Amino acid sequence: MSVAPTADAGRSRRTGSLLAFAYLLPALVVFGIFIFWPLVKSVMLSVQGTDILGNPSGFVGFVNYSKLFTDDGFLQVLWVTFAFTVLTVLPSIAIALFLALLLQSRIRGVKFFRTAFALPFAFSVATASVIFGVLFNPASGVLNGLLSYIGVGKVNWLTNPDLALWSVSGATVWMQIGYNLLVISAGLGALPDDVLEAARLDGASGFRLQRSIVMPLITPQLFFLVVVGTIHSLQSFGQIKILTVGGPEGRTTTLVYSIYEQAFANNNSNYGYASAQAMVLLLIVLVITALQFGVLERRVFYR
Amino acid sequence: MLTRTSRTGRSRFRYAVPAAVAATSLVLAACGGGDGSSDGSGAPKADALKDAKGVTTVSFWHAMDGKNAQVLTQLVNEFNAANKGKIEVKPTYAGKYDDAITKYKAAIQSKSTPDVIQIYDIGTQFMIDAKQAVPMQEFIDRDKMDVSDLQPNITGYYSVDKKLYSMPFNTSMPLLYINKTLFKKAGLDPEKPPTNLDEIRTAAEKLSKKNGGPADYGFGAAIYGWLLEQFMATSGQEYCNQGNGRTGRATEVNFAQDTNVAVTTWWQKMVKDGLAANTGRDTKAAQAAFKSGQLAMNLESTGQLGGYSEAAKQGGWELGAVNYPHVKAGETGGPIIGGASLWINGANHKDANKEAAWQFVKFMVDPKSQATWHTGTGYFPNSKGALNQPVDVEYRKNNPLFDVAVKQLEGTQLNTATQGCLLGVMPQSRKASEDALEKALNGADPKQAMTDAATSVASQAKTYNDSVK
Repeated sequence: MSVAPTADAGRSRRTGSLLAFAYLLPALVVFGIFIFWPLVKSVMLSVQGTDILGNPSGFVGFVNYSKLFTDDGFLQVLWVTFAFTVLTVLPSIAIALFLALLLQSRIRGVKFFRTAFALPFAFSVATASVIFGVLFNPASGVLNGLLSYIGVGKVNWLTNPDLALWSVSGATVWMQIGYNLLVISAGLGALPDDVLEAARLDGASGFRLQRSIVMPLITPQLFFLVVVGTIHSLQSFGQIKILTVGGPEGRTTTLVYSIYEQAFANNNSNYGYASAQAMVLLLIVLVITALQFGVLERRVFYR
Repeated sequence: MLTRTSRTGRSRFRYAVPAAVAATSLVLAACGGGDGSSDGSGAPKADALKDAKGVTTVSFWHAMDGKNAQVLTQLVNEFNAANKGKIEVKPTYAGKYDDAITKYKAAIQSKSTPDVIQIYDIGTQFMIDAKQAVPMQEFIDRDKMDVSDLQPNITGYYSVDKKLYSMPFNTSMPLLYINKTLFKKAGLDPEKPPTNLDEIRTAAEKLSKKNGGPADYGFGAAIYGWLLEQFMATSGQEYCNQGNGRTGRATEVNFAQDTNVAVTTWWQKMVKDGLAANTGRDTKAAQAAFKSGQLAMNLESTGQLGGYSEAAKQGGWELGAVNYPHVKAGETGGPIIGGASLWINGANHKDANKEAAWQFVKFMVDPKSQATWHTGTGYFPNSKGALNQPVDVEYRKNNPLFDVAVKQLEGTQLNTATQGCLLGVMPQSRKASEDALEKALNGADPKQAMTDAATSVASQAKTYNDSVK
């Protein structure tokens, strides 16, 4: 009690920050081990060669990086990655938005439909991919079975180089819709009734109401989905591994799949080259996310 | 993740491992090197097991799943029962071949390799360069074991400089499978099946729906590099330089050579003319098409014999199997064996474990075990003795088509072409040949596609070879 109040405050501030640090420590340790250290390690590996066992074989400077620019295949990898991201992010949000708006209507059995449409969220990528593999099968698949009724011949969904990326993207869109639908529905459910009512009183209805009132109000959700969806797409792996193994002709080899191939497939252990590719991926994610926050977010309406 | 971090923590393991197995001085020697140069390999003394206290546990990584894994477990159990109180083998599924070898590399870095590992044929040169294993020949020489009963064409693959490095375990061979019922429907004699590419085309012309034939496509096979390797062997060509890597370290693959380009061109034309299906790389897709009667001819391994026979029985059609085709008439070469072999790891392993591992490996190639393995899985038996086991004789009576494979193997002369290519980047090379074939089937120029693939393999081989110098 006799201690001066200032010293006491100083000590409690110190214990306070110590305590805060103690609370943060577990998360920091986990992040450090599983995120920061591998990142540092990747940077280190990317400037080293790799021996046949995968051991770093010494500093090679930027050889792995310069290889990226001389490797014709890598340009295709970037293009495939870009195309895959566009083909999955936009349609999965657009379809989910459309379904979510439909589900707003008060029709009978809407709960059933909501559950049904959100169900893909519950599937793991592996399970969904196996199922799509069965659907896409050119000989026994349901898709070609249906097409044969309208007189369309066999479509090689996964082995036709011009079609494979579309097929894999289609499957991915299906996997994404459930999650997107949940997020958008939550946003729609939280719309303030008074605003909607005021808009209706002013004579807005139907499409006009959706476009001018509802859409701006759910831009935070849409923005979130674009950012998360993009990162998610850039990191997709399971469906490619299971459905096409990166083929045909590397037309479904995205950046992440290419990293896997260089590091682990076919008895490869080019950790150096794979790490250089991983750095490119990191850079792309950073740039795109920054762009999205810089450009898109300005149009987001936060309540 | 764990394997990644353990690599970075190598210095810690350097102390931890010797502490755990300080009993042998070999281990300390191995750890001092760290790069595997002082690999500590070599067969232990024959009485290494006598001094071992208690049960010696042998860790065994394999890449078999499904039915194959069941038969494998059955064999392991038999061995364990016979060696109760002395040796216990603990099998672990390490994933498919590619995954198993990836895990193995991580294990080398953390000095925790299994006592025995099953590695695919095309990993042979890598395994030699990894310098972890005790060459099987050292055990064989030490025990003066008679290996003449093993099929020379099979041991030939795994032998380098007449030294057997690993023990062949599961072996398969390629065959040309035909749907005899479709052959008859097309007015062809199924007893005179095609023997070369031209004859396959002639038959396919009559068989294919396009020309009013009974099958969707006369021919179809997966885009599988192994098949291209086989065509080179049956036409007596070497796949890679330096005598298929048998006389020196191979640096290049002969993809752009005439035979291989001829095969690719033929295949491309078959697809273009609607005589062959392009089912892609997934071997299961081509298998399914053949099983359902959409294809009349298919190239596959002996491993499919069981599944195909079953499909034929259910589908009510008659299956035929004949020798793998030659590229041109008049060629006399035969195919290369495929499959996997067992490697005994020496570096960082106790003498007692190496010896116990050797006892296990011996058991696995014993004619009786091989007969169990062959009849249970459809893999080719490694020893001639296995073919004389009653259970095997019975099996082949019920599956007469398997004798085609036996005769094909016995009729194949062992030379560098049929021994197969020994190349550090063989798995990558197989993939490159598949890339090229796939491009060609989708319209690219075969010669160009194969030349590009060969260039890419040569550059990978150089990186590999430079790093093991």
